[in-house]
Amino acid sequence: MRVVVDLNRCQGYAQCCYAAPDSFELRGHEILFYDPAPPDEARPRIERAQQACPVRAISIEPASLDREDAL
Amino acid sequence: MSEDALFAEVLDPANRADPYPIYARLRRTPVSRQRDGAYVVSTHAAIRSLLFDPRLSSEDLPPSRRPRTGNPLTDWVLNPIKNRVANAHRPLIFRDPPAHDTLRGFVMNEFTIARVNGLHGRVGALVDTLIEQCRGRDTVCLVDDLSYPLPVAVICELLGVPEADEPQFHAWATQLATALEPDARRDDEARRVTVTTFDAIAAYMRRLIREKRRHPGDDMLSGLARPGRAGAPAMGDVDLIATAVLLLVAGHETTVNLITNGMLTLLRHPHELDRLKADPERAPRLIEELLRYEPPVHFRTRKALGAIEIAGTTIPKGAPVILLFASGNRDPERFADPDRFDPDRADNQHFGFGGGLHYCVGAPLARIEAEIALVTLCRRLVRPTLLDDPPPYRAGASLRGPSNLGIRIAGIA
Repeated sequence: MRVVVDLNRCQGYAQCCYAAPDSFELRGHEILFYDPAPPDEARPRIERAQQACPVRAISIEPASLDREDAL
Repeated sequence: MSEDALFAEVLDPANRADPYPIYARLRRTPVSRQRDGAYVVSTHAAIRSLLFDPRLSSEDLPPSRRPRTGNPLTDWVLNPIKNRVANAHRPLIFRDPPAHDTLRGFVMNEFTIARVNGLHGRVGALVDTLIEQCRGRDTVCLVDDLSYPLPVAVICELLGVPEADEPQFHAWATQLATALEPDARRDDEARRVTVTTFDAIAAYMRRLIREKRRHPGDDMLSGLARPGRAGAPAMGDVDLIATAVLLLVAGHETTVNLITNGMLTLLRHPHELDRLKADPERAPRLIEELLRYEPPVHFRTRKALGAIEIAGTTIPKGAPVILLFASGNRDPERFADPDRFDPDRADNQHFGFGGGLHYCVGAPLARIEAEIALVTLCRRLVRPTLLDDPPPYRAGASLRGPSNLGIRIAGIA
């Protein structure tokens, strides 16, 4: 699983940080740090974060894309 | 019905069960002037644009005025001081930056991820206990049996309000919630009762905060009452009381609607109820769709600080502005087939928790409570069906939800 956050959309509502605290962290008031390749067992929490985002900035993509990117 | 009387129709209790056709008519004019001079904003695009407009102020409450008592000391000295203090220390939903941001910062420092997510187990246990209490009955009265007591117990625990004191908050919270409705602001008697209620709850909070300072617990109120560390400023006592009252009222009067509207919607869409029962992981998207389709808070009011031109209308300086979130959520320009309840909807950017800098502080907690309550209800209520459709509604047009939801059941699993 690969997580992508559109940081141009992100407005720092921090809903993802409550839904998946191991994968998202807001530093200061608006700088979002996140794990782009979280372990599979985090998926239910990442999906909660994706649903809870008020601006729908989070997308979850198949891990296979990682390899394509690497090429 | 002429367009400038449509919002009066929204406020009419006769339309509480289904205000959505009126919203559709309001949306023909995205920003519509009403007879009383208020402007109703009803399309998704216009609401969104105004949510981020600094010319729109949340400091729209009329000044606090305590009723005459006949005692000259009270009427001419004490109450004018109290009124001035109350006007200067409104809770953060009625404040603009920078004061709003400072107050919200204090709250967010205590509304920590660990503290909120730490309530998971407690919410689950409470839901199970409340449902267990319905065993042996063939009817569940959802509001009294679960939707109301659950968020109340949770907010009391989070804040650190002793559960034994809870019953007296019920009436206080209901009264203060009505103060959010537009009708109540115009009615002198209603405003008098609101001020008296606020004084009573504030006196209680003042005692409780003193107690928390003497014996701090690991609750939110103890945290908020703690003196600032290393020279950091702490929240002043008057702001602290206003904040505590706000959080308590919010905890009493909003999540109840999310849970009740949720179960009502699921019972009206039994297919979705079965799907949730079979796959509880559907809950997060289902709850977001609920927040769009039947939000707990239908509108909030603001005030124009200057003239604002929007969607072909000029809102004059000083005019009340009503952001009709529940209408934006049903705007066909923004959502395909908006009157259909569809948890699989993609791109669901609703106003269920408002938006912009006043976005609901309690949103993560509300999601946890709604998810656990709805999933557990679907799992444990055997063959639930609605007794009355539509159910009776609470008085509020803004904080809107059923006053009771009778569900016939064949047992508790």
